[in-house]
Amino acid sequence: MIRFENVTKVYDAKSRPALDSVSLEVDRSEFVFLVGASGSGKSTFIRLVLKEDSASRGAVYVAGQNVANIPSWRVPRLRRGIGVVFQDFRLLPNKTVFANVAFAMQVIGKSRAVIRETVPEVLKTVGLEGKNNRMPHELSGGEQQRVAIARAIVNRPGILLADEPTGNLDPTTSMGIMKVLDRINSNGTTVVMATHDDDIVNTMRKRVVELRNGAVVRDDAQGIYIGETEAVAE
Amino acid sequence: MRLAFILSEIGSGLRRNLSMVISVILVTFISLTFVGAAGLLQLQINQMKGYWYDRVQVAVFLCVENSTSPSCAAGPVTEEQRDTIRGMLESETFTPYVASVEYESQNEALGHFKDQFANSPIVDSVTADQLPESFRVNLVDPEKYEVINEAFSSLPGVDVVSDQRELLEKVFSVMNRASLGALLVAGVMTVCAILLIATTIRLSAFSRRRETGIMRLVGASKAVIQLPFILEGVIAAVVGALLASGALWGMSRFVIGGWLAREYPETAFISDQQVLLLVPALILLGALLAGVSSLLTLRRYVKV
Repeated sequence: MIRFENVTKVYDAKSRPALDSVSLEVDRSEFVFLVGASGSGKSTFIRLVLKEDSASRGAVYVAGQNVANIPSWRVPRLRRGIGVVFQDFRLLPNKTVFANVAFAMQVIGKSRAVIRETVPEVLKTVGLEGKNNRMPHELSGGEQQRVAIARAIVNRPGILLADEPTGNLDPTTSMGIMKVLDRINSNGTTVVMATHDDDIVNTMRKRVVELRNGAVVRDDAQGIYIGETEAVAE
Repeated sequence: MRLAFILSEIGSGLRRNLSMVISVILVTFISLTFVGAAGLLQLQINQMKGYWYDRVQVAVFLCVENSTSPSCAAGPVTEEQRDTIRGMLESETFTPYVASVEYESQNEALGHFKDQFANSPIVDSVTADQLPESFRVNLVDPEKYEVINEAFSSLPGVDVVSDQRELLEKVFSVMNRASLGALLVAGVMTVCAILLIATTIRLSAFSRRRETGIMRLVGASKAVIQLPFILEGVIAAVVGALLASGALWGMSRFVIGGWLAREYPETAFISDQQVLLLVPALILLGALLAGVSSLLTLRRYVKV
């Protein structure tokens, strides 16, 4: 579903590359943790998949297509196939839960009938039944992240990218979010989650790809992560 | 659905940026009013040209007692000289240029003079023999004045050949300069309008960066993301253009139609119908102005 071939990304010629000749393949319906300390290249990986940035060297394939060959007017189509969730939720503060999720459908031209049918369904998937008309500030952090996840998957993307989705949440709430992501994954969506939360990684026992200074240093099928001590040691 | 969505986005954008939108409306209103005023002046000049060029004549004034030009050294024009001049004007050499010739005697000249200065005390002191008799020549092409001037001005018995068009040209050149001045002001105001629209779009883009960020992520097309911004600017500019059209129409109806036309019934003025011809041009200009400047701004401030 996602394939990196010797991808190098240099933001600034003087400093070291953010990604250094990374080769990696994520299959359809896989769940992959992307771990590593801050600045190890996790966010750059996500930006390259979304074609927010282009690789300096090497090729990025998403759903079999080299993103470097996608003309700029086709980039929206690429992004419709990818859902994204962030650490800071990025909800629209002046819209209700329902409207926040519906917004993602409105802007790509879905009809009102389809929206009315789909949004409650998706809100149910993420465990927010009955909160349609709440405003974001009335929700807890975990609930807000669930809204963000609902928005990311409402257009049924094949890939869900999560950039430290539990970074702002306490461990209990985080586990709730992980259950939601796991459920989405078991429905066939490929999930790539960048995190440095070792508890979560160790509980889930999924594939773990560890980045350090922009290079892949480990790729375990059912891996663990002891990130914090290593990060301190550096 | 998408249309309704874009419209609601535009509505919320306009409301959020109300003060900036109003300033865009006012600036485009002023700048387009000046553009329109320049246009109206040009229309007026054309109108007057059309009206007067049919009526202007070249006058060949003949010598009287106290004429000073060298060709009048021999005193007032004689019968013989007058016949020669008339003969020449009506000869085949000049038929390509001369449409018609009329003779105006001293008595007729006095009559016209009295009409023209009816309210002036000068009338009583003027007698017929002080005024020159003349041939009034209508030209086929009013531009060909020089031909007549060269042929007749040094002829014995001819005092001076005068082209009435020259007087009109002076009036027109004053009006042309006024319209140029209006265009200049319009140009400065248009630059203001463009910069103000750019600033407004920038503010609007900034206050909606969260929305546009999410739109990008979920794969909204460039049109859906940028159209609300562009249309916001275009709507403001078109409202400004409509105000400018209204102002110009009011000006032509009440100032020109209501006042000038009554004061100067002899002069052909433009009608308010002709002003309406300017309206589509002004609206188009306003929309173009806003569209181009917001497109350029968006390219920098709203990534897609």
